[in-house]
Amino acid sequence: MKRFLTIILFMAIYLPGVMAQGNRDFMRETGKIYVVVGVILLIFVGIVAYLVRIERKLTKLEHQLKEEKQ
Amino acid sequence: MWWKSLSVVLIVYTILAGLLPPLKPGITRVAPESAHSGQVIRLQAYGYNSKYTGSDAKDIRFWLEYDSLHALAAQELRVLSDTCLEAVFTLPVRMPGTGQNAYLNAIIDHPKDGVSLLPGALELVQGDSAERVGADWGIGLVQDLHIIKDFTFPYRNVIYESIRNTYFHVPMWFALMFLFVASVINSVRYLRNGELEYDRRAAAYAETGLLFGVLGLVTGMLWANYAWGKPWSNDIKQLMTAVALLVYFAYFILRASFDEPEKGARLAAVYNVFAFASLVPLLYIIPRMFASLHPGATGNPAFGSQDLDNTMRLVFYPAILGWSLLGFWIAGLRIRYQRLEDKVLQIEV
Amino acid sequence: MQFNRLMLLLHKEFLLEFRQRYALSGIVLYVLSMIFVVYIASIKVRPEVWNILFWLIVLFASINAVVKSFVQESGGRQLYYYQLTDPASLILAKILYNTLLLLVLSILAFGVYALVAGNPVKDLPLFTLVLGLGSLGFSIAFTFISAIAARANHSATLMAILSFPVILPILLTLMRLSAIALRLIQDTSYRKDIVNLLAIDAILVTLSFVLFPYIWKD
Repeated sequence: MKRFLTIILFMAIYLPGVMAQGNRDFMRETGKIYVVVGVILLIFVGIVAYLVRIERKLTKLEHQLKEEKQ
Repeated sequence: MWWKSLSVVLIVYTILAGLLPPLKPGITRVAPESAHSGQVIRLQAYGYNSKYTGSDAKDIRFWLEYDSLHALAAQELRVLSDTCLEAVFTLPVRMPGTGQNAYLNAIIDHPKDGVSLLPGALELVQGDSAERVGADWGIGLVQDLHIIKDFTFPYRNVIYESIRNTYFHVPMWFALMFLFVASVINSVRYLRNGELEYDRRAAAYAETGLLFGVLGLVTGMLWANYAWGKPWSNDIKQLMTAVALLVYFAYFILRASFDEPEKGARLAAVYNVFAFASLVPLLYIIPRMFASLHPGATGNPAFGSQDLDNTMRLVFYPAILGWSLLGFWIAGLRIRYQRLEDKVLQIEV
Repeated sequence: MQFNRLMLLLHKEFLLEFRQRYALSGIVLYVLSMIFVVYIASIKVRPEVWNILFWLIVLFASINAVVKSFVQESGGRQLYYYQLTDPASLILAKILYNTLLLLVLSILAFGVYALVAGNPVKDLPLFTLVLGLGSLGFSIAFTFISAIAARANHSATLMAILSFPVILPILLTLMRLSAIALRLIQDTSYRKDIVNLLAIDAILVTLSFVLFPYIWKD
């Protein structure tokens, strides 16, 4: 969870800066529409990260169950 | 389950209806940005999403507004392009009110685009040329405006297209609220009958609420970076959200710090109820006492009527419902996982 | 819950305090040393900073003063109370006692702090009222949280983590009110803030009554 949080934070803070350097303030172009894109992306990544976390826990549980059956 | 499909349908609707409709036409700036009274100026107005060539120049009207009563009308008006208008104004010598300078609003009324306004567009400074005779302020000029009714979102200066974030950033906050309420309700139920299932639910709702809280905070920081200039401006609502998240981090630390799970569950449930009660003033009383950059800042924790128009409501309310239902769906998965894990651990013991 | 039972419990708290005087004097010393640290660190304190530092001193002193109220009592003694009295009068006695303790502490802190760092308070009656309200609010929140924390393993750390978010609305309102008493902000409608503060206190007291039995039983 912590790792995912750092990734999200990193994306939120660092990436816009990088984009701004490469292309003259990319995020502010076309009426700041890329801010919306960024927000949707962040939400998507966050939710997927949480789902991945649940899936990992489930996999562990499945292994546990399998070991018990043997 | 029907509500899971509903959440998917609503979120798809939110993304489509939130991204596809255009913004209403607006004025980004006028040039020059300041003038002396008694001057004749040639003013250019730059439009956003506007189609100035779409109708005759004589049908387009352009005013500089001092207040709701006093305004100036443009004398010659030329359409330079779809997004550029040029007009001549003769600025009066005297201000209608007191004060050495004033900020005039620019208002453009277009038969096809409708009306658009830029507040404080032109700074008018009291000039020293008292002998020159300028025009007089018109009284009640701004009327017969064209109000176009279509599916477009309001144009706001500075935030422009990112107004669409209302459907993605703000619902995170609502989902968090609903999930935390569900968590507290389940904590109360747990305290009343000691059924471990309720404790599982309370914990899962709190955890999912935390997820949405973090997402709301992070997306808010991204948006704030481009709307307010920096990701964190110690805005009272940012602080309060951060504290709300701290409460639930503390809740999980408390749960984890007991050897006997039953005892930890009970005390965590007690803390959940107690902390939630102290969150209510945090979220509804404190924000009223401090200034905020968020909309509806003075005296209103939610949106004011000016911040949402009817078109936005058509997307905003479904968005809240859709994202919240998604939150409950995810929390449901978490609960089912926990139920399984508890069962497996029981078999082992 | 009976009145004389409450008085008896209150009496017991005072007795305990006087028997182990080192606890009280420890807290007093804590406050004094914090004030001297402030004094050494910055001799001329601006009113804005004065306000913030004062409430921080009171906050930390309060946490340290209240944290012992449940931790110090061993499991055996808890069981003994459990047979003798009901949870409502016990928590009420503790809250009342802690309110008095914190009131004394904060008045003492104010006195010494004003002596050392100057006294920018313009509206003394209001400031005294704020001190009283602060003691009440801190006492309610900290007493209840310390009851939870006392049950866990690392109670002192947990106490700080758990109480910080709960105390924040009270603390913010207090700082604002005392800023008004220092004439840092002009606000004639501060009565509304006082009512808000009392409302928060009322909610927390009610919840303490309702929830304390669940912490209590084991």
